Amino acid sequence: MLEKFKSDTPLDQRQDIVICNQLNKWFGSLHVLKDVSLNVKQGEVVVILGPSGSGKSTFIRTVNGLEEIQKGSITVDGIPLSNDIADIESIRKETGMVFQSFNLFPHMTILKNITLAPIWVRKWPKAKAEKVAMELLERVGIPEQAHKYPGQLSGGQQQRVAIARALAMQPKIMLFDEPTSALDPEMIKEVLDVIKTLAGSGITMLVVTHEMNFAREVADRIVLFDFGEIIEIGTPNELFDNPKHERTKLFLSQIL
Amino acid sequence: MDKNKLLTKKPQKSPYHPSTGTLDWLKKNLFSSWLNTILTFVFATIITFIGIGSVKWIFLTANWHVISANFRLLIVGQYPIAELWRVWICLTLVSFLIGLSWGLWKGTMGHLTIAVTSMYFIVGCLPFILMETRIWLLINIAVIGATYAVGKKWSKLKKSTLIGWFLMFPITIFLLNGFGVLNHVGSNLWGGFLLTLLIAIVAIVFSFPIGLLLALGRRSKLPIVRWFSIGYIELIRGVPLITILFVAQLMLPLFLGNGIDIDNVFRAMVGFTLFTAAYLAENIRGGLQSIPRGQFEAAEALGLNTTIKMTFIILPQALRAVIPAMVGSFIGIFKDTSLVAIVGLTDLLGMGKNIISNPEFLGTQMEVFIFVALVFLIFCNLMSYASRRIEQSLGVGKR
Ligand SMILES: Nc1ncnc2c1ncn2[C@@H]1O[C@H](COP(=O)(O)OP(=O)(O)O)[C@@H](O)[C@H]1O
Ligand SMILES: [Mg+2]
Repeated sequence: MLEKFKSDTPLDQRQDIVICNQLNKWFGSLHVLKDVSLNVKQGEVVVILGPSGSGKSTFIRTVNGLEEIQKGSITVDGIPLSNDIADIESIRKETGMVFQSFNLFPHMTILKNITLAPIWVRKWPKAKAEKVAMELLERVGIPEQAHKYPGQLSGGQQQRVAIARALAMQPKIMLFDEPTSALDPEMIKEVLDVIKTLAGSGITMLVVTHEMNFAREVADRIVLFDFGEIIEIGTPNELFDNPKHERTKLFLSQIL
Repeated sequence: MDKNKLLTKKPQKSPYHPSTGTLDWLKKNLFSSWLNTILTFVFATIITFIGIGSVKWIFLTANWHVISANFRLLIVGQYPIAELWRVWICLTLVSFLIGLSWGLWKGTMGHLTIAVTSMYFIVGCLPFILMETRIWLLINIAVIGATYAVGKKWSKLKKSTLIGWFLMFPITIFLLNGFGVLNHVGSNLWGGFLLTLLIAIVAIVFSFPIGLLLALGRRSKLPIVRWFSIGYIELIRGVPLITILFVAQLMLPLFLGNGIDIDNVFRAMVGFTLFTAAYLAENIRGGLQSIPRGQFEAAEALGLNTTIKMTFIILPQALRAVIPAMVGSFIGIFKDTSLVAIVGLTDLLGMGKNIISNPEFLGTQMEVFIFVALVFLIFCNLMSYASRRIEQSLGVGKR
C-alpha cells in the first residue's frame, strides 16, 4: 500500500497509484484492449474520452478486477492484481466505482445502501458507519432522503447516492463510468458538481465521460481511446487546442 | 342543467360510469342484451338446481356421523389417547408463538392469527367434540390472546421468537416420539391430519436450504459442484414423485446400512424433502437469473465477498421475486402428501379411506372425501393468502 502523499507535492513528484502495463483483452475473438499502458499519479484526475465501443468501460473495469485481462499487468495502490480473490478484494476496498446505471440496491434504504460495505468490509460499528453516511449525504446535498428507497429518488439523486456509497469506503481511487449518461439533461449538472468538488480533494479519479466542458475543467490529463487503443494522452489544453493525432482531431470535430 | 340534458340527444356519460344501485348493476351486467338475458336465466336455473341439491344433501341426506365418530382418527390417527396431551402441548406452543408473532409483527400475522383462532373456535363449537378438546382449544385461544399482549408490549422479543419458531420443530418431534424420556410412540401410530402436516412441514423447512444450495451450486464456477447440482435437479425432476417415495422406502435402508431400523414416516419425509428441493432449486434459480448484472458488479466493486454479496444483496431480491413460485411448490407438496397412502402410511386421506372401508360406515365416501377436501382447501388457501400478504409487505420501495 502506498503512503499518503502531501497535498503540496507537485503531481510529477508523486508516486504512481495505478500502473497499467500492456493490457490486452479479448471478448471471444474481439480484441477490445490492445497494449493499453497508463500510469496514474496519486491524487491525479484522468478523464477518458473516446467513441462508443472503443473500450473505455472495459478498461476502467479492469482496474478493479470487474473484467479479467488476458495479457499485461495492473498494480493498484502497490497491490499487483492477480487471479487471487484476496488481492482483488483488497484492491476493491481502495477503489470506489460509480456506474452509468447507478446500480443502487433497490431493496435497501439509502442509508443501508451506504453503510453496508463499511459495516461488513471495513468492520466499522454501525453508529460510526451511519455518522459517516449522513456526512456524505450532506456533502452530496440529499441528507433528507436517507430513509427512502432508491426507487423513490430521481436519477440525479440516485447517482449522488451511488457516489456517496462509493465514498463511504474511503477509497483512494474513484472510477466513474459515464456517470451522467443515463440522466435527464436537467440533472447532469447536479451530479457533475458533486464530482468536481471531489477533484482536487486528494482522491485519485478515473472518469469516463462525454461531457467536454467538464473534462476540460477537472482533468489533469485526458486520455483518448479508439478501437481499444490509447491514441493520445495530454493535458486538456494540449489535447483540445493542439491535438497531435488525426483521429483525435476527427473525434473532437465530431463531438464539439 | 336538466334542460340541457334533455336537449342533447344522448345524455353524456363519462367513460367511467359507476353504477348507482343494485338494479343498475343487474341491468348492466346480467341483462344488457337478449343473449345476456337468456344466458343469465340458463345459468340461474342451473345454479339453483345445484344449490338446492347440495343444500338438501348436506342437511338431509348426508350422514355426518361418520365424521363426528371418527374425528379424532382423521385428525391425529392412531396416536394413543393417553398420550394425546403431547399433541396438545405442541399445538399450544405453536399458539404461543403465533400470538407472540402477531403482537410483534402485526399486519400479516394478524390475519393469520385471526384465521387460526377462528378455526379453533369453530372446531370448539362442533357438537360432537369432547369436553377435554374444548378445554384445550379454549386454552389455546387464551394463550394467543395473552402472548399477543406480551408481544405488543415487548418489541425486544423478536429474536427469541424467531429462535422459538426454529426450535419448534425439534421440540414437536421430541414430544410426539418421546425418545425414551416419555413413553415411546412410534411414528407408525402418527396419522391423519397430524401426519399430513408433519410431512409437509418437514419437507418445506428442510427442502428450502437444500434447494437454495442446489440453486447456488448450479451457478457455481466449480465444475463438480455445478454438474452435481444439475444432475440432481434434472434426475429428480424427471421422475414421478411416487417413484421417489418408493425408492426412499426401499433404498434408504440400503444406503444407511441394514442394522438401523428407519421408520416409514422418516423415509417418506426424506423422499418429500429431496423431491421438493429440486423444484425449489429451479424456482430460486429463476429468481437469481432475474437479478441484473449491475447488482453483482456494484456489490463486488464495494469489496463485498461472495457470502456477504449473496446474503445481503442478491438473495433477498431473488427470493422475493420468487415467493409466489415457491409458495406454489409448497402448496403442491402439501397436497401431494396424500400420496403417502400408497406406501402404507395413513395420512388424512389414507385415514379417510380406511374409515370408508369399515363396514360400519358403508356408503359414506362423499362425506369423508368432502371433509378431507375441505381441510386441504382451508390450509392451501391460508398458505396462498399468506404468500400474497408477504409479497405486499415486502413490496415497499421496490424498483
Ligand atoms: N461482456 C461483453 N461481451 C462481449 N463483448 C463485449 C462485452 N462488453 C463489451 N463488449 C464489446 O467490447 C467493446 C468495447 O466495449 P466498451 O468497453 O463497453 O466500450 P465503451 O465503454 O468505450 O463504449 C465493444 O465492441 C463491445 O461490444
Ligand atoms: Mg461504456
